[in-house]
Amino acid sequence: MKKVLGLALGILTAIGGFLDIGDLVTNAVVGSRFGLSLAWVVVVGVVGICLFAQMSGRVAAVSGRATFEIIRERLGPRAAGANLSASFLINLLTLTAEVGGIALALQLASSVEPRLWIPVAALALWLVVWRTKFSIMENVTGLVGLTLVVFAVAVFVLGPDWGTLADQAFHPSVPANEGHAVYWYYAIALFGAAMTPYEVFFFSSGAVEEKWKVKDLTQSRANVLVGFPLGGILSVAIAACAAIVFLPKGIEVSSLSQIVLPVALAGGKLALAVVIVGIVAATFGAALETSLSSGYTLAQFMGWSWGKFRRPARAARFHLTMIICLLVAVGVLMTSVDPIKITEFSVVFSAIALPLTYLPILVVANDPEYMGTYVNGRATNAFALVYLVIIVVASVAAIPLMIVTGAGS
Amino acid sequence: MILGDLLDSPVLGPDGARVGFVVDVRFALDGPLDGLLAAPRLHGLLVSPRTGTSFLGYERNGVNAPAVLARWFAWRHRGTFLVRWADVESVGRDAVTLRTGFRRVSAALPGSLAQRP
Amino acid sequence: MSLPPDEQQPGLVLDARLHLLDRQILDVDGVPVCTVDDLEVHGIDGSDRPDGSQQAVVTSLLSGAVLATRILGGRPPASRWHRIRWTHVVDVGTTVKLGVHGSELDVTWTERWVRDHVISRIPGGSHDPG
Repeated sequence: MKKVLGLALGILTAIGGFLDIGDLVTNAVVGSRFGLSLAWVVVVGVVGICLFAQMSGRVAAVSGRATFEIIRERLGPRAAGANLSASFLINLLTLTAEVGGIALALQLASSVEPRLWIPVAALALWLVVWRTKFSIMENVTGLVGLTLVVFAVAVFVLGPDWGTLADQAFHPSVPANEGHAVYWYYAIALFGAAMTPYEVFFFSSGAVEEKWKVKDLTQSRANVLVGFPLGGILSVAIAACAAIVFLPKGIEVSSLSQIVLPVALAGGKLALAVVIVGIVAATFGAALETSLSSGYTLAQFMGWSWGKFRRPARAARFHLTMIICLLVAVGVLMTSVDPIKITEFSVVFSAIALPLTYLPILVVANDPEYMGTYVNGRATNAFALVYLVIIVVASVAAIPLMIVTGAGS
Repeated sequence: MILGDLLDSPVLGPDGARVGFVVDVRFALDGPLDGLLAAPRLHGLLVSPRTGTSFLGYERNGVNAPAVLARWFAWRHRGTFLVRWADVESVGRDAVTLRTGFRRVSAALPGSLAQRP
Repeated sequence: MSLPPDEQQPGLVLDARLHLLDRQILDVDGVPVCTVDDLEVHGIDGSDRPDGSQQAVVTSLLSGAVLATRILGGRPPASRWHRIRWTHVVDVGTTVKLGVHGSELDVTWTERWVRDHVISRIPGGSHDPG
């Protein structure tokens, strides 16, 4: 059991990266419109995030420095400031969406209006950030969030035509009624979601919170190699469920209640209850990840004291930042804006933040001053350079595609 | 003097012709003791013919991984040289002027791979 | 055309941008204090604007660039800088370590202000997480 709990950081990070409210909806939308023909993007994204999260975890364990500190030191204040602005906005938008997502999931369970749940959710989040130990937080949300595996179970129970699914996945092509631009827009959105910078900020800061050292490198690697692929598999399972139930009828997914429909069809009320618990836990976990990330990035950029391992009085500005972010999130949500629409805009800022995040990680992972003998091997460098190119291409194409396709509509 | 005033300053030769820009300043920890450590003594200025910050010092520290990036960044600031502090005539508001007969010396960091033949 | 090596090569070398600027400063307990935003350099004879005719040394680390100037550029006036004298520095690696407590330094005043006026007023702020 202890071994499983030791993987909680990786699982929680992956939940925030692959299974937050924005991803839940995007995966279902993609499944209902494109079937599994975009599954290859998830695979590419999983490999990429595994590569870089592994590097940033290793850097944190060997040198004790978290990723945004490294970004500031290697890029200098101007470029790091650009990254901070973009990343902070992504965090804030995603946090707002997650708090909204928690409220939507609770509405599914209780039929109580989401606006009443929003302050409750925000308060609960803040209490966890304020008082709970990091390890308890990651263990509980990580493990409960894993109940989303019910989506994978539902895929089997629904008895799909495996031939069609395999065909869509292994011979990807743009469906007849969709345009090429929309296909690539969603490809970039899925790739960007898999490699969102706050995942490495959270993972490396979490490594410092857990006080990982050189002896924990194997544990760090295990966290990455278990957590992110699991997140990727569940992402694809959600798309598959939507592909099985909605694609043949040409129904477009747009709400949370539609996303859980395949699970209800597969397993009835019990499965529905499980999936709602899973969604509440996953959005709660993603909200924790993004609110902590906003604290981590600002504090590390400015050189402030940070960390949940310190009492709030010893990391005052760090905690104040998170309180303000939560208040802003609640304020925005009370205007009844659709939280899920908000996440579409974070694709834009990801375009800026992605290259400015991953280049410094790659550089520092090769620097003997930080890493001693634990610098990257040749193979890691080769893969990382390939991914840097992919990241830059995705960055450059994101905004034009978003404009051309009207954000995928 | 605040170091930020020196950085990115144009460097002029004794005849007033531009020689480059200050991309970094080298200090040596062999000054008089100030607290536990020796005070960093200003050893020299690193001058590059081009503007733009020397990105990550690849042209000085001989780190050659990842290969593609290292070669690109080292190439961007090829021609960076060190000028010893003693060869600096004056530090003005707009430029640093060098003394007549100033010497250009290798910018490689001591003990780094860049120094080995 | 390769340049001659530096014969006066000193052993321990620090390049300002590579090794000192933008580095994290930690206090004696390992608690982050601030970042190195700039350095103050004086002539050994105390002169304010040294040139090559006299030795010059770093006398203090400077911190306190406001968020706006750090991102958009420019420099706040000299009176706004916080000084940390080099005497307090005990080690320079990937971080700069000081031999004093952060609470004794001026530069951490905003941290103390937020702690005293906001965080301490919220219940549970002074307790370790548990």
